[in-house]
Amino acid sequence: MANIDWKDIEKQTAILAKTILKGFADQAVADARDFQKKAQAHLAEWLTDLAHGDISQKNFESLVRGERDLAEMRALKQAGLSKIALDTFTAGFIEIVLHAALAALP
Amino acid sequence: MKIPALLRPTTLFLTLLLAACSTIAPYDQEAYKTATGLKVDALVVMSSATESYSSYRAEVARFRIALDKAYEYDRNRPLNEITIKLWDKLRNPDGDLLGGFLREWQEEGALRPKYVAHKKTQIAEGFDTLIQLESGKIKPAEAARQL
Repeated sequence: MANIDWKDIEKQTAILAKTILKGFADQAVADARDFQKKAQAHLAEWLTDLAHGDISQKNFESLVRGERDLAEMRALKQAGLSKIALDTFTAGFIEIVLHAALAALP
Repeated sequence: MKIPALLRPTTLFLTLLLAACSTIAPYDQEAYKTATGLKVDALVVMSSATESYSSYRAEVARFRIALDKAYEYDRNRPLNEITIKLWDKLRNPDGDLLGGFLREWQEEGALRPKYVAHKKTQIAEGFDTLIQLESGKIKPAEAARQL
């Protein structure tokens, strides 16, 4: 029977998980921070425009609701990116196992 | 005779296995190109919203058709639910992004310049979100390289 190096599979899988999942988590945090920063700046600008009469109360409310819609879109995008990270991990794991299995063939 | 790499049994098996394990649609160049083009078109159409809607009725109608075509294309891609939800948010006439903006323009006539400028920023960001998800998807070339 072929001798598969399970220790090596474990080691490579741990590296793969760390690379893909940590990369995804870092990106998600950076994305959330970027959104918060932009939303704060936008809100300050809209309030100034409202005070100067450049936009109406109704316009202001629509802009605020639009920002909420954008936040929901960002959350959906992150959900999609997490699926991509999972798919990438699965593909990498299969490749690791297959290579180990092929290498163990006499 | 040497069997091409793509036709080897292990490669074919892996390709099928990876496809079966996928949880989201792969990258689609056509969808990416259409979304980026529509972003530009949307901002151009929106710039006219400081003037009367009736003067731009035909232009807006053409744009809406292009938007519907892009939506239908994405709707028929398997495992593409998240992208569809993003389009729904962007296009919703009762929402406050592109669909809501076009409805508002149609119902109220010319809109205030500052408001239009702010909405353009918001809607550009909405398109960017959709485009970023598409560009983040696994490219077929990347998947083949993994084999």
